[in-house]
Amino acid sequence: MNQLILAVLVLMLGAGLCLLPTSNRIRAGIGLISQAIATLLAWSVVIPVLMGGPDIAGEMPWAYPIGELHFRLDALGAFFLSWSLPMTFLGSIYAVGYMQKHFQGPRHLGVHFALLNMVSVSFLLVYTGEHAVTFLFGWEIAALAAWLLVIWDYPNQKVRFAGFNYLVSTHVGLIFLVAAVMILYTHSHSWFLDDFGDWMSRNPGTLRNGVFLLLVTSFGLKSAFFPFHSWLPRAHAAAPAHVSALMSGVIHKAGLYALVRFLLLLGKPDEWMGWFLIVFSVTSAVVGGLYTVGQRDLKRLLGYSSTENVGIAGIGFGAGCLGLTWDIPSLVMLGFGGGLLHVLNHAFFKCQLFYAAGCVYQIKHVIDMERLGGLFKQMPVTAVCFIIGGVAISALPPFNGFASEFMIYSGLFSNDSIGVWAKLALSLAATALAFVGAVSALSITRAFGVVFLGNSRDASLPEAHEASRWMLIPMGIHALGTVLLGVAPVLGFAMVAAPTALLMHHLPHTVTTENLHAMISTLTRIGAISGALLASISVMVWLRFRFFAQSPVRNATWGCGYDAPNTRMQYTGASFSTDFAERFKNVMVLLKREKAPTGYFPSDSYVITDCVDAVERRLYSVIGHGDETATEVSRKMQEDDPRLAFSAGLAALVAIAALVLLAEGALP
Amino acid sequence: MRILLALIHWAFVLAMPIFLIGLVNRSKSWWVGRKGPRLLQSAFDLWRLLGKRPVVSTAASPLFRPGAYVVLVCGLLAASMTPMLGQFAPLQFSHDFIVVAYTLGLARIVLMISAIEVGSSFEGMGAAREASFSTYAEPVLFLLIGTASAATGMTSFADLIGHLHNTPYYAIIVAPLVLALLILLQAEAARVPVDDPMTHLELTMIHEVMILDHSGPELAVMQYAAALKMSMYAGLIAALINPFNPFSDPLAGILASLALMLTVAVVVGCIESLSARLPMRWVPAYLLIASVAALGSMVVIGLGASGV
Repeated sequence: MNQLILAVLVLMLGAGLCLLPTSNRIRAGIGLISQAIATLLAWSVVIPVLMGGPDIAGEMPWAYPIGELHFRLDALGAFFLSWSLPMTFLGSIYAVGYMQKHFQGPRHLGVHFALLNMVSVSFLLVYTGEHAVTFLFGWEIAALAAWLLVIWDYPNQKVRFAGFNYLVSTHVGLIFLVAAVMILYTHSHSWFLDDFGDWMSRNPGTLRNGVFLLLVTSFGLKSAFFPFHSWLPRAHAAAPAHVSALMSGVIHKAGLYALVRFLLLLGKPDEWMGWFLIVFSVTSAVVGGLYTVGQRDLKRLLGYSSTENVGIAGIGFGAGCLGLTWDIPSLVMLGFGGGLLHVLNHAFFKCQLFYAAGCVYQIKHVIDMERLGGLFKQMPVTAVCFIIGGVAISALPPFNGFASEFMIYSGLFSNDSIGVWAKLALSLAATALAFVGAVSALSITRAFGVVFLGNSRDASLPEAHEASRWMLIPMGIHALGTVLLGVAPVLGFAMVAAPTALLMHHLPHTVTTENLHAMISTLTRIGAISGALLASISVMVWLRFRFFAQSPVRNATWGCGYDAPNTRMQYTGASFSTDFAERFKNVMVLLKREKAPTGYFPSDSYVITDCVDAVERRLYSVIGHGDETATEVSRKMQEDDPRLAFSAGLAALVAIAALVLLAEGALP
Repeated sequence: MRILLALIHWAFVLAMPIFLIGLVNRSKSWWVGRKGPRLLQSAFDLWRLLGKRPVVSTAASPLFRPGAYVVLVCGLLAASMTPMLGQFAPLQFSHDFIVVAYTLGLARIVLMISAIEVGSSFEGMGAAREASFSTYAEPVLFLLIGTASAATGMTSFADLIGHLHNTPYYAIIVAPLVLALLILLQAEAARVPVDDPMTHLELTMIHEVMILDHSGPELAVMQYAAALKMSMYAGLIAALINPFNPFSDPLAGILASLALMLTVAVVVGCIESLSARLPMRWVPAYLLIASVAALGSMVVIGLGASGV
């Protein structure tokens, strides 16, 4: 425990010291060093716990009314900490490259690095907090730090708006969380998560269901499940690339952590909870996936794919929940294990994709896909990292996304003795997952093809070249992780095994071990297949270019007889996706602005297709209408009418009396 | 026994792409009253292509030429897990069908990327069509597997398909499942009415337009991989119908599968001769027929098991 407290202190001290020096270089240096030290300190206790060591607990006296703060590091928290901290560190390294032009400028970079440190602090608090207040405190630090990081480019009004949007959404989520905590507190008379769990496992019923729904809403807002995702695409598009990467890959995983944590506390969940989670997550995955198709802003696209991927992990958790209800250990293992492994894998490839997008933006100063193109030749490293991440995010072998989705699929196609309709319903969820996979393959092909392949579409943009090493190295490390966890998913599973076993704590030890071994052998096989695939492709390609090495004739692309093509005639992102997107126009709102060519010598004609968020649009229109209605009503009322004042007072009294009556027994 | 079956399976995997394409073309020729090309014609075509020096677009990146081999290797890996002779596949483990579907997915994404590589609008169009139609085709396979999994309680692809004919509702669900697989075959192997391999207009192509800029050995590999995909689906249909157990009744099982695969090729050829390619906007609806057929058999299994 001491190391963890020390890590928090180091991070906070680093954050404070970051602000002091006069040179941006030194400020960044302090930030990086403190992050590195804190990561190592945390690893020194986290890894033993993750490898099956005993939990670590600690207490700290605190002022009234909170009393003692309890911390406990168990396998679940250790799992999240073990990659969150180093990935934040890598993000900070990337920040050095991304912010390069500001190093000489007037902006104070110390604040930025201090905030990155605070993000790490929030992880340490949330993932070890045993006291509800610590948990909420960490939760709030993460939200505020992320908000401040998003609005780095605050002179831009759009960025401020995106930041504000995020701030409001995340606090709406906080309200739900606080509501749930208050209900739990009034019943368990304690601030400790364990006591919450005690109460919940002993009192299944309406109130527990209510708490579950409040919590899922709150965590859904945090992790951007559909329909609570509307803040996400804006925030991801506005933030600097590493901040988007960290938010999507790391920070918002806190929502999933909290979901699993409360499922762990819940005791035996009701059957509807599992089904609810599955339906909720499937919707999120499908809609998130569909939205990636229409985006022209590369970072918005990646943002929506977070909604998709938390949905996929959520499907796993839902299946695991059903396993808990039905007492099927293998389903618990596959569901929660697969979900958690997907969380880890997603952190690897999503950060990598955002980093690649950041490299493109830093060099070209444009993130609109329709203006880019042909970057592969000038930025091969970035391009290869992007496509590795892209293949992984489409859950295709031989990279890591496949291993975790394989586990989730195996859970959904479970051959255990469950009802035939339940079996069919689960395979429908698997079908939806297959659809999501195909859709995300579509949008990744589109993004990679339009941005990196073909020829450059806009000659007015700066000449492309590879970004600085500060950016390439973190991206490369992530890519390495993506490949490694693909060919050796057992490594990932080794990290997931202990937290999954935690969910099976009520079962006899032998059952857990048996399932763990079965899982390890399955994953070894998957890794072997991925490895064999990778190896046989390499061998085949090597044979081809070694023994039939005649150099090809280079010639222009086949133009069907047309010999004056220009680069603007290439297939664009919009043309790639319109066919598909128009079939889903009920879900996606496609805005088309066009000016058709007219006359004999047409000039200046265009078509611009934009995919806007339907939820956000609807939300704003409802808020707008509500605003208008309220104004209308207040205009009609005469304020000096005494009858109005009396009736309003009476209504308020009745409402308060009703609340008191309803709450009787609930209050201590 | 397993080794012998595996050898025969591999012989099927490697030879069937040639024979099935030959047979499809033959049966098309019968309908128009021509004698038609030799059964082995596509082997000669591939041989000719292998000897050629490739022409590569100046816009293509270094990923372009290796792409073809990725597609081929993925096809072969998937074929090693796909049952053709009934309840047998050389590589067989629980939930291997996910690996089959996703390796084919990798092949598809690489094929689409190689199409976009060259910066041509024709090939982008082909890739876009392939991508959007595959989103309708992909779920069908999983619906089908879900049905078979609920009916048989097995977990590996070969067992699922091979054991289906021992289940009580086989007689009802076999027709919709075969229909679904046949539609999948037409979509995945780019046959009429989804796509027309004989068309000469780029605007109406799907698969052919994606490999317009491939030439020489890479083109040969791409074409062989496409034919391999067709024989995989033909093999699946054969395994689904084949009443013989390849372990207890090897000779009958193998011969039945062979006959069934050849029949599938003739059926594909006949459909191709008698109907035209669908308008592009109807293709999703056509693929939905497959989904509905698979969903229908799912409902049959559900109702059957709950005693209706």
